[in-house]
Amino acid sequence: MHFGKNMRTYYLILIPVLVLFFAFNTFPLINGLIYSFTNSKGYGGFDWVGLRNYADLFSDSRVGNSYLFTFKLALLGTVVINVLSLVLALALNSKIKFKSSLRGLYFIPNILGALVVGYVFNYFFTYILPYLTHSTSMLADKGWAWVAVVVVCAWQAIAMNTIIYISGLQTVPEDIYEAGALDGASGWNKFRYLTFPLIMPFFTINMVLSMKNLLMVFDQIMSLTQGGPAQSTESISYLIYNNGLAGGQFGFQSANAVIFFIVIVTISVLQMRFLNSREEQL
Amino acid sequence: MAGLSLEHVGKRYPNGFEAVKDFCLDIKDKEFIIFVGPSGCGKSTTLRMIAGLEDISSGTLEIDGKVVNDVEPKDRDIAMVFQNYALYPHMSVYDNMAFSLKLKKLPKDQIDKAVREAARVLDLEQLLDRRPSALSGGQRQRVAMGRAIVRSPKVFLMDEPLSNLDAKLRVQMRTEISKLHDRLGATIVYVTHDQTEAMTLGTRIVVMKDGEVQQVDTPQNLYNAPRNLFVAGFIGSPQMNFVDATVGRSGSGVSLSFEGQKVELDGDRAKALLDGGYDGKTVVLGIRPEDVHEADAPSEGKRLSSPVAVTVGVYELLGAGSMLYCDCGKTSIAASVSSDTKARVGSKINVAFDLDKIHLFDKATEQAIAH
Repeated sequence: MHFGKNMRTYYLILIPVLVLFFAFNTFPLINGLIYSFTNSKGYGGFDWVGLRNYADLFSDSRVGNSYLFTFKLALLGTVVINVLSLVLALALNSKIKFKSSLRGLYFIPNILGALVVGYVFNYFFTYILPYLTHSTSMLADKGWAWVAVVVVCAWQAIAMNTIIYISGLQTVPEDIYEAGALDGASGWNKFRYLTFPLIMPFFTINMVLSMKNLLMVFDQIMSLTQGGPAQSTESISYLIYNNGLAGGQFGFQSANAVIFFIVIVTISVLQMRFLNSREEQL
Repeated sequence: MAGLSLEHVGKRYPNGFEAVKDFCLDIKDKEFIIFVGPSGCGKSTTLRMIAGLEDISSGTLEIDGKVVNDVEPKDRDIAMVFQNYALYPHMSVYDNMAFSLKLKKLPKDQIDKAVREAARVLDLEQLLDRRPSALSGGQRQRVAMGRAIVRSPKVFLMDEPLSNLDAKLRVQMRTEISKLHDRLGATIVYVTHDQTEAMTLGTRIVVMKDGEVQQVDTPQNLYNAPRNLFVAGFIGSPQMNFVDATVGRSGSGVSLSFEGQKVELDGDRAKALLDGGYDGKTVVLGIRPEDVHEADAPSEGKRLSSPVAVTVGVYELLGAGSMLYCDCGKTSIAASVSSDTKARVGSKINVAFDLDKIHLFDKATEQAIAH
């Protein structure tokens, strides 16, 4: 009796969550997978096309370019974000004045919405920077627009990564550093042989998170360049949204989304495996 | 190996707290010096100043005749064994031991030789490939020692290295450290709060309290002639009995009265009391439990005081002997007696003090008057 009552409570808690999860996650996912085998425009009727959308993906130059751009952004952005946030974390973890206030200050970008940040930077790159440098806007330059996207993505992502690195640095016992100081590890040697290996688990988390977030970049593209100029900053997510919903390629972009999902999962798993193997067993 | 000299060394923190005050000590080459004292007495701070892990606020520190106040820890040619071992968790035992030599860019074969030699001495040869997390407490402790040994430093610093080990292992490692000192002929500065470690290991002991050196002496002298009440109470287990007693003249000697009891003194102790103007004043009589005997037990040539009537409050059988914690009015007196004793809780017995082992201290200054 007691067991039955408990089970009822469990089901009462569990079922609404399951229904919501299915309705807004699983159902759209399955729906997207089904549509990827059709020529749906997102409205009206559609025909089944089998795997043709998937085959076409590999010959579509716009899709190819969006993958190239997204991977370029993700790789470079991951490096920039992790290097800078690690440097910041080391600085904010050292014996400096106003440490707590500075940590709070550097975390602000994380609590701002990505679209808000994007539009503010859009204004900065369109009006302020050209005024200061007497040049044209970076966002209008095919060769430089992607740099602006990296800058904005990094500016915002560094906040969270820095906090994760700071928590990592705080797990390293002080006496390890003291033993290191006596053994002759200072400066770069201290970082290379002691700090970095000991915060490797945090490096793994940050690498995977940065990579995944950058591969899925959307808000910054939407607010900064909308894929332009000349589709030079069109990320995969933006292309799926833009052409899928507004470009009459719902079925085709659904296939793109399925492939993209598989790509992200594969990369994340590979990254975890590779970095985990390098993590030191502490 | 080398000697060390601390001249008026002090440590004052930015909040004004003085952790170490006017510390003066010359440590000779190959000496085994122990810093001992209760928690917060400044012993670890002093050791860390020697290591270079804490700045020296005042005074001069010399290692091997060179002032090293502003020299980086790595350039002081010292090695330290930490309380928590501070092994590098991501390195194997071998790498932990080889780390300092690698940073010095010594040739690989030389590093290998040094590590394997230290591993042999410390019986770590089978463990060289393991990570610290796969080692027991005792093994980690040995690795920490090994890491210090491979560097062949001028001075070894050890900060309570045995405090994380269980009682049995601690005794075993204490013997190992003692052997190591003999084998390496090393100068060792060792911090502990365990007075048994201090007494058994040290060639000289520095007793500290509240950042100040109380006494620097050999274990024997510290035990037999403590300079003040603190040292007398800190060194020796069970602790020395302290009895407030009033000094009075008695013939050519003096009498010490307490709780309606009287102990007659003559010789040097009586002279010191009279010369010091203690007649009529209260002093502290110190007597170690092993120097308090049952009055009717064989005295074996000892000069015993007149009997002191006490009531046994606690009786402890320790195996080889027994402890009696007795009450004499408001004064407690512990006596270490033979296990044959008939005394039990509530027994009214007479005890007597070994007159040649009585210590006398000034009540106000707590300094020793006579031993």
